[in-house]
Amino acid sequence: MADSGGDAVVVPVEATPTLRATVAHVAEAVARGEFSTIHFVVLASWRDEDPQGADRRADAEHVIDRARVWAETDLEDAGVGGTNVRTAIVGTDDYLFGPSDYARRLAAYADEHGVGTVVLDPEYTPVGNTTLLQPMEFELSSTSLDVREAPVERPTRRERLLTEATGIRFAAVFGVSLLFYFVLGDPLYWFDWVTGVASATIVAITLSRISLDHEPSFPETPLRILRGAVYVPVLLFEIVKSNLLVARVILDPRLPIDPTMNRVRVLVGGGLPLMTLSNSITLTPGTLTTRARDENLYVHSLIPSARDGLFDGSLERWTRFIYYGREAARLPTPRERDDVAILQGPEATEALPIAQADGGAVADSPSDDAAEAVNRDADAGSEADADADADAGSEVDADAEVTDE
Amino acid sequence: MIDSLEAVRMWLVVGFVLVGLFFTFVSMTGVIRLPDVYSRAHTASQADTLGAGFALAAVALVIGWDGAGFKTVILLFFIFLTNPTAAHGIARAAFEQGIVPWTEGDERR
Repeated sequence: MADSGGDAVVVPVEATPTLRATVAHVAEAVARGEFSTIHFVVLASWRDEDPQGADRRADAEHVIDRARVWAETDLEDAGVGGTNVRTAIVGTDDYLFGPSDYARRLAAYADEHGVGTVVLDPEYTPVGNTTLLQPMEFELSSTSLDVREAPVERPTRRERLLTEATGIRFAAVFGVSLLFYFVLGDPLYWFDWVTGVASATIVAITLSRISLDHEPSFPETPLRILRGAVYVPVLLFEIVKSNLLVARVILDPRLPIDPTMNRVRVLVGGGLPLMTLSNSITLTPGTLTTRARDENLYVHSLIPSARDGLFDGSLERWTRFIYYGREAARLPTPRERDDVAILQGPEATEALPIAQADGGAVADSPSDDAAEAVNRDADAGSEADADADADAGSEVDADAEVTDE
Repeated sequence: MIDSLEAVRMWLVVGFVLVGLFFTFVSMTGVIRLPDVYSRAHTASQADTLGAGFALAAVALVIGWDGAGFKTVILLFFIFLTNPTAAHGIARAAFEQGIVPWTEGDERR
């Protein structure tokens, strides 16, 4: 599997101001003979089926092509021939969330292609908001990969804050904060103006990059807010309805509950849409989002009718309506897409991935491959051994741990 | 006329408080009766959504729509944001600890 001759290096890329310098640094290392193959990899924070997946993929391909061309030019200038430059986009079948997901994907890629070293762009933050680099370096340090950060001239922290603080995001966060302040205060009183502007400025400086991961745009953002306003009464109705159903079950002396853990693969897009959907699911009693892992929501349901409602995907449809409009809302339901699974009980179609769902340090190590293999088996439809016996699930995971040690 | 409007408002307030109390009571019963952490998390959210929801609606009716009444709506908004987040936090912690959800046929805990 490993590439023959010399060592290979993998560079996760994203459109950053320091990408050019990082590529140059890697090319220098190649010229010194440290590596023979460069892999440029985009770790996708979207999925191809997402309503805007094609656009995001096109953007990623653009960035990765640029990195490849830069590397080839640098290598040519340095007079080094015969270097293998490869590119890949990985993770488009999942949503990647925290640094551990990214590190796991990167480690899996490195493993598959026999890569021993990772060079990180110091500005690399694939989620597009919070600083992910340090936790990701930490996660990677528990793998066998050799991790280094490209020694690139980077803008100082202070300048970064200033560049982040300008622009549409800043204005949006500032405006919303000030508006909220005046809802609570008195917009006709000069003292509230002084304190309001001061606090809105502080909020916007510190949070404008964290709370918004996309620039607000016209007319999408106002449209989303309008469609969100349409959704609120719908959600309230759903909440009242399911509250009554659950109240009836709880007050019934026989307590006719049939709780199961379920998996739903949702098509809404990562970040805010996913948050909206999983919060809506949790808000309606009877369904509870326990884990959002990769592309899957693990939802605990209390009664079968709540589970059916979940699989019929009306909340998912509404979420798509809010963020992408009526066209996207018409996509098939999770049940029609066959994106659902019951993980427990007599109707179970898949093993319960408990304990391997996020085994902390263990799951992020190569042993995760073993765990994923188990998952794939279950996906392949081996219903016979998928009676959701939780003990079996945890035993498999224990085995994976042992082989890893 | 004014008097009858006032009477309607008072009965609405009483009604909302009673409905809010009912859902809080159901939620409490559920926490006691249901078997494990996941199913209890379902019902705990009832007290927040409809229990607190109806109680706050009653408060808004008492105060009226100027100023403070509007703030109860904002309060409800934040409850609706934080409640599922907290429920998800608890359930996720349980899931990561490897707690297997109770199913039909298991012994009651």
